[in-house]
Order: sequence, then C-alpha cells, then structure tokens
Amino acid sequence: MNILIFEQYSYSYAPDLQAALKDINLEIKKDECTVILGPSGAGKTTFCLAAAGLLTSYPASVSSGTVKKPVPTIRTALVMQNFYSQITYLRNTVFEEVAFPLENMGLPRPEIFKRVNDVLSQMKIQHLAMRNPLELSGGEKQKIVIATALAQKPDVLILDEPLSQLDPESTSYLSDILHQLKGSITIIIAENDPYLILKIADKIAALSNGEIVSYGDVSTVFNSVGGKLVELPAWSICAREYETAEDGLSSSSPGYILGYKAALKKLGGQK
Amino acid sequence: MRVAFDSVTFSYGEYPALKTVSFEIESGTTTLIVGRNGSGKSTILKLMNGILKPTAGRVVLGETDTRTKKVSELSRSYALCFQNPDDQLFADTVSRELTFGIDNIGTGRNLLDLVIDTLELRPILSSNPYSLSYAMRRLVAIGSVAAMDTPVLALDEPTAGLSFREKEKVALLLQKLKSRKKTLVIVSHDLNFALPICQKILLLSKGSILFFGNRGEFFSKEDIRQVMRASGMTFPIYPRMARALGLTQPAFTCNELLIGLKAATTIKLDSN
Repeated sequence: MNILIFEQYSYSYAPDLQAALKDINLEIKKDECTVILGPSGAGKTTFCLAAAGLLTSYPASVSSGTVKKPVPTIRTALVMQNFYSQITYLRNTVFEEVAFPLENMGLPRPEIFKRVNDVLSQMKIQHLAMRNPLELSGGEKQKIVIATALAQKPDVLILDEPLSQLDPESTSYLSDILHQLKGSITIIIAENDPYLILKIADKIAALSNGEIVSYGDVSTVFNSVGGKLVELPAWSICAREYETAEDGLSSSSPGYILGYKAALKKLGGQK
Repeated sequence: MRVAFDSVTFSYGEYPALKTVSFEIESGTTTLIVGRNGSGKSTILKLMNGILKPTAGRVVLGETDTRTKKVSELSRSYALCFQNPDDQLFADTVSRELTFGIDNIGTGRNLLDLVIDTLELRPILSSNPYSLSYAMRRLVAIGSVAAMDTPVLALDEPTAGLSFREKEKVALLLQKLKSRKKTLVIVSHDLNFALPICQKILLLSKGSILFFGNRGEFFSKEDIRQVMRASGMTFPIYPRMARALGLTQPAFTCNELLIGLKAATTIKLDSN
C-alpha cells in the first residue's frame, strides 16, 4: 500500500528562483524506509518539507502536481535540518518539551508520561529530562528534537540530516533505533552518511538539481549514480561495513564494490 | 597567538560545563577538540573570545585576560564560526556577509579572494544567504569568519550538513590558513575530516580533560581503543588500519596509510 504519492510534483520557493523539485514521480510504500541522497542543493530538504505537507504555506512559492496521501489521517513527524528552530523553548525542561506535542495530540497524562520516559530512555538522554533546553549543547538539542518526533509514534517519520551534530556513540544509538523501527513505520530520511544508508535503507531516491536521477534498492542506486552524486568516501564504507559484518564481507555488497574500486584507484595512483 | 586556560571553571546555572580546566594552545598550531555531546566543547570556544566569562580561573588570549576586554575588542584577535550558521548570517547578500566582519574589525581584505575561491563562493556572491541550502549557508558562515584574518580562528562543527566534496573545500581552506601560521581550533565529531588537519587533540569528558597532546601520541596509546570507546568515539579508519597492520607510524589519511604500507612491504596490484 502506498502512503505518499508524488505526482509530477514541482516546486519553486519564488517565481524567479530555479525549481527546487522538478517533476517528481514517486510512490512511497507503507513501512518502507526511503533514503533521499544527493549533493547540497539537490532538493533533499525541499523533498522532506513536501512529504511533511509543509510547503503550501510559503506565500511566493510556485508549485505544480501533487503530493497525495491515500489515507488522509496519517500522522507525520519531521526532524528539520535546522533543528534549533524546532525547539519551542516555551517549556522549562526537556521532559515538558518532549511532552508538548503529545499534549496537543490530546493524549491522556499517563500515556504522555510513559511515552516521554520511554523515548528519553531509548535515546539514552534520561539525564537531560529536568534540564532547560536553552542550556543544552547543539548535539543534545538535536537528540531532543528526534526524541520529540519519536514520542509521537508517527505513521511517517521524516528526518532531514538527523546525524549532523551527533557524536559517534549517539549516531550508533539512533541507527539502532531506526533499524528497530524499520518495517513498523514509514521512514523518509535525507542523509549522506553511508553507514546509516547501508543499515536502514529499503529504497534510495537519488536527487540532482531537483530531479530524481535514480531510484531503487541500495545496490542498484550505489552502483549507478551513488558515488558520482555524493562523492561517498568509498574506502570508509567498505571499512565500516567490514567492521559490522558478522560473516565477513559479501563481494556483492555495495560497500565492498565501492571500497574495492576506490582502493584500487588509490593504489594505482601510488604506483 | 596563543590561548591559555588557567584553572577555568564554567557553569550554566547549576550545571557545571567545565571543571578546573588548564591547557595552553600554542601559536600557529591546529587543535581538535573532541568529546561526547555536552562535554563542554562549544563552551571552550565561547570562553576564548569572552562571549562567556569563566566562573573561576582565567582565559588568556595572546597576553589578554578575556575578563578585562569586551567581545568587540577581542574579536580582532579571535573569530568564531558558530555551530548553527543561521545564528550568524544576517546580511542580504553573500558578498555583504563576507565583508561585514572584515570591515567592522578593520583587518583588511587580504584573505577575501582566497576564501571566496577556495570555498567556490564566487557564483553566489549576489545571492541572499537565506535562499541557499543549509550546507551553502554553512560555507558562507565559515568564509565570513575566515576572511576576517584574525590570528586565532575557531570552528564549531564546521562539516555538519556538508557533503564530502564541500568538506574537501573546507579542509583545503584550513590547510591554507595553517600555512599562514594561524592558530586554529576545531570542534568536530568528524575525525576523518579533522585528523589530517590537526596536530593536537584535546579530549573532553563531562567538562574535564582526559587528554591533551599530539595526535600521534594520542593514537599510539596502548589503551586507545578503550579511551575512545569510553569517550563515545569510534576509532577512525586510517589510524585503526595502520595499527592493525603493525605500521610503525600512525596514519591519518589514505595516502599516509599507503606510504606506510609501501615502506613496510611491496604492494602488488591487481590492475583489473
């Protein structure tokens, strides 16, 4: 079943600006994890905002086509690239900040308490519960915003570069959380981190200049345009995959292929 | 210009961010500050130019105690690129953004062209920064601070949100500034980006220093794996491979690893 359908969707932030998205045709299936890949300015953030239904509010924008929700009641939660602007700062504690959207959803108080405690524990940030969000570091704020989105238990979770300020340990926690959620909710994630992509992606949509230039499973996209589009540090992919592989590295895995090619190229350059 | 922390303590309200921290960054060196989220990294950068004043102890920038001068006076010596570029940008064109700091502190436009060309900002000079992608806004923020030509430059998570290609531009800019004997201080979780640039590492945990010294010394430690794990970091690929292969020198780039390998053995290539 499709949960979001982009039909010939184009979007410009203003009439005199280049289109941020051009003729996007994409069906996102329920409980599938789609990674949006591409260089800066390719349209990843605009895609996330369109998927969250937030773009219609820009007054000077120009759009055509539609983003359909076959089931209108589906709930989406978005973690924005500039997550700093997403914290309300209306509340004095992290606990209340995470509870804020749940109160607005009209959930009973015991359910709110349970969800907030669960998500703070899941993100390993219980120690921040009574801190004022204003006093936190950038990475801690990013974790609060991610926790706030997870607490809503959305049907569609949209994450725009959610790892940008996280330390490696927190990156690993979030990867595990998303891996556990995979298959039970729909995830759309704009991210160039190869480790996360390999771990959670069912499908990759590769964007370039606002257009989808490749769509498919991980191997298909990586082998066609992945490296060219984002200049992935292929050697690192290979190494990270090797590190996490339980039974050794499969010679058909994308990390292996890219890593092998990159290693050969580098070695060739040293001759 | 050197930067010295002398028994510095700082608290946000009742929460201590730094606990009696002492270290000295020598003039012309590049230092990488690492540690978990919330370990006090950004606080150190904000103490260096007096945006924050120590709760106890003193911070000395050059020969100046930061408690005795205004931020505007200290900014002639020290420029800081914030973690969030949107906290920094305000001008209506990239060009005005890049020259605002220079014109206000009066250091001259000596570095402006170098910054614009290295970060490849020339095609967007007349654009409004807020019409750009987040990554481009970060490059503009880095450029506007680097162009100020201050003796000390600090960057807080400069690669967050950048693609691999953009990280290369920032790395190149920092290498050029290094060759001009700038004192650079970088906070980053991105060790693959930062290690090739930095000579010194300052490792923080819960507001205290776990290590401060040369990067080679850090990665030669017997218990490096445990230290990194305890600090929430992953062991980056090149030093880890160099260690696993038994190379005598730590490697921080692919080329250094290959040079080490070539010195240790003869590599036969499969040209296919």
